[in-house]
Amino acid sequence: MVLFSVAGSMFAIPARSVEEIREIAGLREFPSRLARVKHTVLRQGKCYFVVDAARHFRMSSQQPGKLMLLRHAPVAVLVDAIDRMQEIQSIHELPAAFGGDERNWYRGLTLIKGKVVPVVHPESFLSKAEVTLLSVLLRGKRSAEAAAVTA
Amino acid sequence: MTNTVSNPDTFVLFPLGKKRFALPARQVNELARQDEPQTFPHTTPLLTGVVLRRNQIVPVADIAPVLIGPDAPARKFYLVVSRHTKGRVSRTAIPVTGECELANAEQLPVTGKLPAYVSGLLSLRGEIVEVLDLDHLMSVEVFA
Repeated sequence: MVLFSVAGSMFAIPARSVEEIREIAGLREFPSRLARVKHTVLRQGKCYFVVDAARHFRMSSQQPGKLMLLRHAPVAVLVDAIDRMQEIQSIHELPAAFGGDERNWYRGLTLIKGKVVPVVHPESFLSKAEVTLLSVLLRGKRSAEAAAVTA
Repeated sequence: MTNTVSNPDTFVLFPLGKKRFALPARQVNELARQDEPQTFPHTTPLLTGVVLRRNQIVPVADIAPVLIGPDAPARKFYLVVSRHTKGRVSRTAIPVTGECELANAEQLPVTGKLPAYVSGLLSLRGEIVEVLDLDHLMSVEVFA
């Protein structure tokens, strides 16, 4: 697992779902209707939609310092810091009393030195439908920019 | 007309500020001194975090703001209770403000306009204590 922190909370994400961890650089503004997606970033010619993890988890934003590029989709997650890699013994089911958005956000909870750490669902940062909509918006934006250059 | 006679049942009485509430004793697992709950982001109303009890991760539900308002005094203990959530029995820690008491009493039907999460009343030496239906209290409908 990769342990990362956002606004003072620690989270875990399966290491296999992370393509690359990098510094925040080269962010391009990308106004979208999703409050948590305001930038894109290019990596080897591929455009990633940048999800602000603090907004995703409804937290007050602190000091984002790293980008985690995910493997399953063109999604990069803006986090405060990467803590470390950690092997975990088991994942506990999220207690049934939790019935809000967290059921989508988390695969479960794990214990690391007595501390309860949520294990995130990588797919929850942006759904397939959201990626599709953002891709359409991006294509439209590029077409408009190309047309403006031609004119 | 049919008369029904209820046998006295056992309840755990717990204080929240100046008022006391009751839960059926069969629902209550233990009373524990309050540890600081561990928190992580979520959107479920009333849940303030989780505590570790007997190698289990137990959610903490602070029901005091619903029952007595925002100015509830400091919670000192947890009442760990069993709840039926989505067809399964799970444990929840309820912070309470003082010592609890066991009482044998007959549960009386709700009279007057009381919230739907009050499942009955106990009459104890001049004190009327509301018996709570925790599953209803913590259901989404209460906050809709």
